[in-house]
Amino acid sequence: MKISDLIKMGLRNLSRRKARTALTVVGVVIGTISIVVMISIGIGMNTGFKSQVMELGSLSTITISKYAAIKDDKGNYIDTKEQIINEDLLNTVKQIEHVKTASPVLNAQLTLKIGNSVEGYAYCSVMDVDAMKEFGMPDVQYGEMPTEENPDVLIMGSEVPKNYFYSTKGNRYEPYQFEAGKDKILAYMEMYQYELKDPAKRAEFYLGTNIAILQQNSQYDYQCFMSLDTFKKWYMEAIDYIKPSDKKKAIKALKEYETIQLNVDNVKNVSKVEKKIKEMGYQTESLNSYLAPLEQTSNMMQMVLGGVGAVAMLVSAISIANTMIMSIYERTKEIGVMKVLGCCITDIKKLFLFEAGMIGLIGGIIGIILSYIASFCINKYGGPLFEALMKSTSVMYDNSVTTSFSIIPIWLPFLAAGFAIAVGVISGYYPAKRATKISAIEAMKTEG
Amino acid sequence: MAEEKEKVIEVRNVKKVYRMGSERITAVEDVSFDIYKGEFCCLLGTSGSGKSTLLNLMAGIEKLTSGQIIIKGKNIHKMSEKNLAKFRQKYLGFVFQSYNLMNSMTALENVEFPLVFKRIPPKRRKKMARDMLVKVGLKTRLEHKPKQMSGGQQQRVGIARAFVAKPEIVFADEPTGNLDTKTTMEVMELIKEVARANNQTIVMVTHDRRLAEFADKIIRILDGRIESIDLLNSDEKMDKESVEDTQEPESFQEVAKKKEEKKVEKKVDEEDNIQSLIVTQSETTSGSEVTGDNELEETSAATVESD
Repeated sequence: MKISDLIKMGLRNLSRRKARTALTVVGVVIGTISIVVMISIGIGMNTGFKSQVMELGSLSTITISKYAAIKDDKGNYIDTKEQIINEDLLNTVKQIEHVKTASPVLNAQLTLKIGNSVEGYAYCSVMDVDAMKEFGMPDVQYGEMPTEENPDVLIMGSEVPKNYFYSTKGNRYEPYQFEAGKDKILAYMEMYQYELKDPAKRAEFYLGTNIAILQQNSQYDYQCFMSLDTFKKWYMEAIDYIKPSDKKKAIKALKEYETIQLNVDNVKNVSKVEKKIKEMGYQTESLNSYLAPLEQTSNMMQMVLGGVGAVAMLVSAISIANTMIMSIYERTKEIGVMKVLGCCITDIKKLFLFEAGMIGLIGGIIGIILSYIASFCINKYGGPLFEALMKSTSVMYDNSVTTSFSIIPIWLPFLAAGFAIAVGVISGYYPAKRATKISAIEAMKTEG
Repeated sequence: MAEEKEKVIEVRNVKKVYRMGSERITAVEDVSFDIYKGEFCCLLGTSGSGKSTLLNLMAGIEKLTSGQIIIKGKNIHKMSEKNLAKFRQKYLGFVFQSYNLMNSMTALENVEFPLVFKRIPPKRRKKMARDMLVKVGLKTRLEHKPKQMSGGQQQRVGIARAFVAKPEIVFADEPTGNLDTKTTMEVMELIKEVARANNQTIVMVTHDRRLAEFADKIIRILDGRIESIDLLNSDEKMDKESVEDTQEPESFQEVAKKKEEKKVEKKVDEEDNIQSLIVTQSETTSGSEVTGDNELEETSAATVESD
């Protein structure tokens, strides 16, 4: 038989039993939809996780901390390790290939006073002004970043003005909303680890209204920032007020950093650089180490969801096989006549495989179209449900992150269509084999 | 006269045993005969005599228990399924008692069907099928489905389907079994006419003695054995047929009686012939088998080329 005749005959046979063909196709449609939608949700989740982690900071940043957490492969905390981080390390790290910028990050604790009745307390990260941008610090919504002419600027995270000030009137410590541009700040640097010469005398730094407030970003919202130069200046002033016995210790402490942050030129090279630093004997941290377990979780989810889809597809495979077997019973006589008229058994087999594959293809195509619609609906209306789902799997879920819950990449429909055809052909194989084994003489005796 | 003709079908010591549970039923018992090119051969017997089984064996639809059937020099029971299918496409046509048409197809498509397997291009096969249907007198019924036609018309479609590929041999199993007397005669005339036009060999199974009159050779089967083989003189028959047309069916028996008398003489010769044939056959069996296989390869190669 010619291929064109085979196709014509196969299509005619399918259209002869419209209802049954349609029902079987519906089975494949459901199977395809469940696979495509489930996989698309898995991909959507993965992308969602990634953008959430990105929200926490730049994926290309590596941190080396004085007190580094040691984690196992799954990201669980095991132990803390103390390591010495100083200028030497900073300079070596800067030499590593792919490292774009590296800056020490120190901590300062400031007490902020507005007039006599309002006080605030700020935990302040200190780093090079140039490095701030590199590490993904958001833009300012008020004021200006430190410059050479105006270096002494206190940079506040977006939540600091709302939450960190309180009134000292009475003893109720009512929250005070900081007003940028109006409230004038007087800052003190706290050095709890050293004893003061005179507890009543501390170094004062008048800032006035010279502050900047950052735009919202969860990694930066709850702390303040200042430049390394300002910090050094203030620190040297502040240690004049501590006891001489502690002064040497304090000067030495300035040489040691809390952390070093470095920026890598490409996300792909993060693990490479991390590995190099680890070889030097230092523990590192990066969002990559957050991402890995999250990705594992989402891969697991993807597999579970894909499994649900696969079950639906299995059911539809069984229904294809059933339809084809039924069709053989119905067409026994026809098969017998075909054999007697000189039809090769391979042609009979091909005919049945084609019909089964066709059911798969039609179901696959309809399923893919419906999947796109389903995906659209999920993204539009499925928000509440999926937010709840995502929250339970990710601690860091942030409502402000707007991601698609279901993403269908370009390769997915092709894969799904191929899979649907394969399911059809495979489940049609046994019936086709059976059809070829029908004895012509027996077949012609049957009614039909 | 018969010796000059080409032997198309050779049946040699054919035996067929069915197994029904633990019982063994012998349907065909040691049957041997020859059919020559262009002959109209009739297997005549009562129901259960094994005549249909014999036809199925000759057509390669059923498997032999022992013996051999050689068609066009090839032992068809030694062919692979694929080669047998090719062989059927090329040399064999079938007419069935219950027509066995495809109900979903029109008359034209039904006649086209065997040509589809032969990979003949659609345009050509459509023309062939249409010509054939015109020949059997169904010019106005080309696009009708089997259910929309009478039994006689359906069988005409069946005949058209059997003859459309111009096979050398056409097997007919009770072709008129489901038809009334008038249509029966029409259908029989049609088969004979078409076959004679192309010098095709017909092997027909029937239980009706009257229908056997259409044949050149009647092989009577009883309980799986050959009872007798009768040769009818074709010229003689032509005269009889013209008489039959004018007279009513009762004349059939008279004619048959008359013929029977003549046949007695012929039967003696025939039996001698068979005996001598069996002897020569047994001498050459092994040799002919080998050459048969070689030829088979050649034909299969030829069909591949024609594809």
